[in-house]
Amino acid sequence: MSTLRPEDFRSNASEALRDDVLRGALRKATDLFGSQRGAAVAQMPAWEALRERASAIKAEALATLDVQLERFEERARANGIEVRWARDAAEASEQVAAIAARLGRPTIVKGKSMTTEEIRLNEHLEREGHQPVETDLGEWIVQLAGETPSHIIAPAIHKTKGQIGELFAERLGIPRTEDERELTRAARNALRESFATAELGVTGANFAVAETGSILLIENEGNIRLATSMPRVLVSIVGIEKVIPRLADLQVFLRLLPRSGTGQRLTSYQSLLSGPRAGPDDDGPEEMIVILLDNGRSTLLGDDELRESLACIRCGACLNSCPVYREIGGHAYGSVYAGPIGSVITPGLQGLEKTSDLPFASSLCGACRDVCPVKIDLPRLLSRLRAEAVEGVGASPGLGAPPPRRLERAAFALWSWLAADSGRWRLAIGAARLAQRVGLDSLAPPARAWRTGRELRPLAARSFRDLWRTNGEDRQ
Amino acid sequence: MHVSLFVSCLVDQLWPTAGTATVEVLRRAGCTVDFDSRQTCCGQPAWNSGYRRDARKLLERTVSLLEQSDAEAIVVPSGSCTAMLRHAPEVLADEGPLRERADVVAARTHELTSFLVNVLGVEDVGARFERRVSWHDACHGLRELGIREEPRRLLRRVEGCELVEVTSSEECCGFGGTFSTKHAGISVAMVDSKLEAVEAAGVDALVSSDAGCLMQLGGRLERRGSAIEVLHVAEVLAARGSA
Amino acid sequence: MSARDEILARIRAGLRGANAPPAVGSPAVGAPDGLDSPAERVAAFSRNLTAAGGHLRVVRGAEQAAIALGELVAQAGARTIALSDSPLVGRLSAQLDGPELIDATDRAGLLEADLGASGVQHAIAETGTLVLETRSERNRLVSLLPPRHVAVLHADDILATLGDALAAVDPGGTGAASRAVTFISGPSRTADIELVLVVGVHGPRELSVILIDPRHEPPTP
Repeated sequence: MSTLRPEDFRSNASEALRDDVLRGALRKATDLFGSQRGAAVAQMPAWEALRERASAIKAEALATLDVQLERFEERARANGIEVRWARDAAEASEQVAAIAARLGRPTIVKGKSMTTEEIRLNEHLEREGHQPVETDLGEWIVQLAGETPSHIIAPAIHKTKGQIGELFAERLGIPRTEDERELTRAARNALRESFATAELGVTGANFAVAETGSILLIENEGNIRLATSMPRVLVSIVGIEKVIPRLADLQVFLRLLPRSGTGQRLTSYQSLLSGPRAGPDDDGPEEMIVILLDNGRSTLLGDDELRESLACIRCGACLNSCPVYREIGGHAYGSVYAGPIGSVITPGLQGLEKTSDLPFASSLCGACRDVCPVKIDLPRLLSRLRAEAVEGVGASPGLGAPPPRRLERAAFALWSWLAADSGRWRLAIGAARLAQRVGLDSLAPPARAWRTGRELRPLAARSFRDLWRTNGEDRQ
Repeated sequence: MHVSLFVSCLVDQLWPTAGTATVEVLRRAGCTVDFDSRQTCCGQPAWNSGYRRDARKLLERTVSLLEQSDAEAIVVPSGSCTAMLRHAPEVLADEGPLRERADVVAARTHELTSFLVNVLGVEDVGARFERRVSWHDACHGLRELGIREEPRRLLRRVEGCELVEVTSSEECCGFGGTFSTKHAGISVAMVDSKLEAVEAAGVDALVSSDAGCLMQLGGRLERRGSAIEVLHVAEVLAARGSA
Repeated sequence: MSARDEILARIRAGLRGANAPPAVGSPAVGAPDGLDSPAERVAAFSRNLTAAGGHLRVVRGAEQAAIALGELVAQAGARTIALSDSPLVGRLSAQLDGPELIDATDRAGLLEADLGASGVQHAIAETGTLVLETRSERNRLVSLLPPRHVAVLHADDILATLGDALAAVDPGGTGAASRAVTFISGPSRTADIELVLVVGVHGPRELSVILIDPRHEPPTP
């Protein structure tokens, strides 16, 4: 498995920038999703009110998360759902592996789930000798290729149909084709076999409803419907932040999420699941298990500022709007969560020790904040994490110890010392001008980095304050 | 109206003509302008790089200087620095006297184009500039301050100036302060993506309101050997001839 | 300490001092207006179903519905039809001549069937959505496995908005409640290969709704 790591963000990004196929596909996908989103939002006059409402519901849910989770657990149990809890990725993965082992190494069909990617469930299951099959078309392509998803909505966006045709010819033994319909049909046929024999379905969930003890899953393909209705046992791994108080709240998110993700009024399918089958005369699993996963979320929750990031409903709009993501794609981030939101929650979930480049992978342009359906102030959170990375400002214990940045820190300390006094400032500028004249400025690493692709505008021979002194103040 | 100019450190040292042009435009619009030469940097670069203590020190100093002016408004030829001053209250303190002082300064602070259009009610500044230009929406002006129409209205009233809208006008240029050197490769890729539409539009100049963006856009255009010039909006608004 | 107790303890510790007022007011933000009359709801549902890629046949009664079903079966050249246990579907399909009929319990048969027919418990005008509840009908696999899904809907069951549908369903799991409520808007679709839309990836590639609307005035020829 070619898994990239967040600590290698710089080299990952450089590699992505050299991949013209990837960048062409990224441009196409992000432009398309972005324009479809724009069109859908334009047709919804209450868009801002909806965002406000969604943001308020999430804030309420998060501020009362313990109560909501207990209520969800109680109602879900009353519905016949087995509710379990997992402190971290290992605990959740082990629980799923144990269920699979009890079922005697069954075929495992998986619905697309960021949460199971986050905990690297497939790797764990495979190590234990199980064979999980991703069933979302994009996820399946990525799995067959031994890769990881590159976009929340379109996991295989980095692959061309030529590459997919080759992959299918090799792995499925079908004649090589580049026709999307034929490729899709081949996938349907292959995956139908898995569904027909699967004993265990594994999914995530988009929402958990405390009031009714239900989970809601949103999709277009129908593979999640299959994975939740055909196998004998269903396990859904649900991040604790997914719980919302009331069933009626869902209408707000259903109006926001598909429009934000793909520009659809509604995706093809939503499944509201509240328990195992009622009896032999019913479809659906005999056993339904929900695993409530923490895995670092309670750390984010404990931070008054970063808590907001748990409101994310994983629509992908911030990725599509992000000028950085649009150039480098999802793999470079070395985490299942890419783009602006990924640069917040990856450090939040994993700590800053190995992820401290991510909050800096943004120009803080704010495009993400404008499109976020739950109004997460992403630039503010990125800025906060930068402060954590350089100074440990909020000293959130869960964020770990980021590597020191001594040189940069000294440079900013010097800068602010110089700028704190206009006399010193003038002297410093004079010195910089002199250094520039003799070419010493090219020794400064930032100047060198700048010049890798751009000319550096020189300091003016006469600054504004010089000009003001001679011409400015005597007029009028 | 009596205004005080916060010129920003980038304009001061790299784009002084944008500063003198700002003064010119303000005076033509009937303002008297004062400038406190003790001003340096508002602290925004440090803030955005995570060095909050350094940033607060500089911001507090800037607030202390600006509040000494008896001007009715503080005008800044930069959306980025305006946004920093507008955010000063929450950056500096949750409550207390410093917060109140920052509130007073923030309320008086305006980005140049917004000041002209929204405070003075001026759209025609009597400029003449015979070129085809395109506008770059600097991110902080656009998304922090909501400035979108103001510079366009001003440019449309410049005699001889043709404003060409491009699809990428609202896309970030990739500057982002220290981002431009920390992640230079990505930053350059971003400016290239943005410039595609600008170059296709066949304009003579690309105009914006933030010196940081202008450095980025101009530095890349120059490296690419492009003939497109970059200009601060104040330079266009102050122009009197066919430049 | 159990995982449960530890996670809840972490949450409580993390939330100390946090407060957010409950999100007050109606969640019906953004709900469309002007869907008060049945005619308006039918019109909006039809428009939105079609926009979502579904097909619509409007008929005035059960008799015509049976004919419509027969036509859809014939058009599709369907030889095996899977039926939900809805009495209405049973009645309509009784007049089908030719195709083999199988019921929803026959899983192997469902995998081979050419067409699945089910009822619909509610529909949503706002989005052109069908809402299938398991408390009323065994509909999960019939509406999913065959490449075509024909759904029979009464005009009276068309609700105005998503909120109305959420208020109408009963997703509590006990007793007669629905273990699964499925919302369907159009055919199964994907754009995972180079963003090209392909229908029928995992579920039906065709969704047809037979709408029984006694108030329906057929267009005069």
